[in-house]
Amino acid sequence: MNDNNTFIEIEYCQNVKNGEEACGDDYKTVELEDEERLITVLSDGLGSGIKASLLAHMTTSMAMNFVSKNMEIVKSSEIIMDSLPVCDERKISYATFTVVDVIHQNRVRIIEMDNPHFIHIRNGRDIAHENTVLASSNWPDRKLVVTDLRVKPEDRIVFFTDGVSQAGLGHRPYKFGWRREGCLEFIQECLHNHPEMSSRDLSRAIVSRARSINPGNRCIDDITCGVIYFRKPRRLRLLTGPPFKEMHDHDFAAKLVDFTGKTIICGGTTAQIISRELGREIKTNLFMKNKGLPPTSDIEGVDLVTEGILTLTEAARCLENDVPATEMAPAIRTMLNLLIESDIIEFIVGTKVNEAHQDPSLPVDLEIRRNIIKKLVHFLEKKYRKKTTIEYI
Amino acid sequence: MSKVHVKICVGTTCFVMGASELQDLEKFLPDDLKDKVEISGAACLGLCRDENYGEAPFVTVDGEPLSNATVNAIVDKIREKL
Ligand code: FES
Repeated sequence: MNDNNTFIEIEYCQNVKNGEEACGDDYKTVELEDEERLITVLSDGLGSGIKASLLAHMTTSMAMNFVSKNMEIVKSSEIIMDSLPVCDERKISYATFTVVDVIHQNRVRIIEMDNPHFIHIRNGRDIAHENTVLASSNWPDRKLVVTDLRVKPEDRIVFFTDGVSQAGLGHRPYKFGWRREGCLEFIQECLHNHPEMSSRDLSRAIVSRARSINPGNRCIDDITCGVIYFRKPRRLRLLTGPPFKEMHDHDFAAKLVDFTGKTIICGGTTAQIISRELGREIKTNLFMKNKGLPPTSDIEGVDLVTEGILTLTEAARCLENDVPATEMAPAIRTMLNLLIESDIIEFIVGTKVNEAHQDPSLPVDLEIRRNIIKKLVHFLEKKYRKKTTIEYI
Repeated sequence: MSKVHVKICVGTTCFVMGASELQDLEKFLPDDLKDKVEISGAACLGLCRDENYGEAPFVTVDGEPLSNATVNAIVDKIREKL
C-alpha cells in the first residue's frame, strides 16, 4: 500500500451464546498480497455450541480455500454442503456463510448463503446493488447471492450473523427482531455522530446494541458482526531513544512538529530532548497508578508520553499474548489503542547508547530497544495488518 | 512561606532502582512537613547519565540533587532547606 491508497480495516466482534463455551459462528481473513486480494469469510453453524462451531469452522475453511483458488462458486458451495456432517437432531447439515473478496482495494465480490444481507454504506446511505442468484441442482433450497460492487474511500461494508438481525425477536418493540433495517439505522446514527469510527469500534457497538435488545442483555444466540472500512490511512509516529549524535536532536524533535497524525514518545531522556528542543514543558503524572510501570507524562501536542524500555516491553508482551484491555496497565492500554487505531506506523529510533544503561547492574542496553521495536513491528504487521517503517537516527 | 520543592525522577533507571517506592512520598511525610512541601515528578532528571552523581534513584530538593534517595533521606534534606 502506498501512502495515497486506501487502507482496508477489517474487524470482527463476537459474543458467544450464554452458557456455551464454543462459538457457533466463525470467521477468517486472509490477505493474498501477490494478487492484491483480501478475503474474509463469516459462517454461522446450525444450532450452538461445539457442533455448530465445527460446522462453522469447516465452512469458513472450505469457503476460504475455494474462493482464494477462484473455483466455480456453485460447485464450491455444493462441496461444502455435501461435506458438512449431518446434525443428529435436525437431520440436516447446515451452515450459512458470507464471503467478501476485496480485489485491488476497490472491487468487491460478496457471496452470501443464507446470512442476513450485507450493508454497503456510503455517506450515511445504504447503497443497493443488483445481484445474481444461483442455486445448485442438488440443493435447490440453498440460494447463493452474488454481488459485485465497487467501493470508494470512506465506504464501509457491514455483515453479520442472525444473532444481530434477530436480536430481540419476539419481544417488544422488536417482535420480528432488530432486522437489517434496525441495524442499518443504528449504523447510520453511529456514523453520523462519529464519521471516522473504526471498524473495531463499529463492530463492537453493533454487537453490544444487538445484545442489549435481547431480554436481560443476554446472548440468546451467537452474535458476530464484521465491518470493513475503506479508509484514508491514519498515521502514527512513535519516537524512542535519544539520537546517536546530539546535533540531530533538533531534526528528531522536528519529526513531531511537521506531522499531522498521532504521536507517541517512549523514554524519559527522549521526552527531555523533545521538551528542550521544542520549548514545551513536560509534566509527569507522578501519582498515577500504572500497574508497576512508571507513570506517563504530558507534553503539549503529543498524544502519549511514556517511559521507554519497561513500557515498550510490556506493550509487546500484551500484543503477543492478546492480553485483554482490562488487564493492561493504563499506559499500555492507551498506547495499544493508539497503535491499533492507526494504519501506518513509523518508528523513529534513536541509537545513542544510554550511558546509564551500561551499568552492569541493569539488564538493559540498546539492543534491547531495537529488539523490542522489531517485536512490536512483527505483531502489528502480522496480527493487525499495519504498515510499519523503522528509521534509526 | 514558600514551599520546598521535591522532584522525584521516575525514569527507567530511577524507577527500577527504587523510585517506584517514592511515588507515595506524600503519604510518608511527617505531619509537620505535609503542607510545607510540593512534590512533582520528572521523566528523567539526566543525572543517571552523569558520573558525578552517585546512584539512582535521584530526586532534587529545591533543585539540589540527591542520589540513592529514600524517604528518610528526602525528609532530612527537606528539613535542611526549611
Ligand atoms: S532516570 Fe532518573 S535521572 Fe535518569
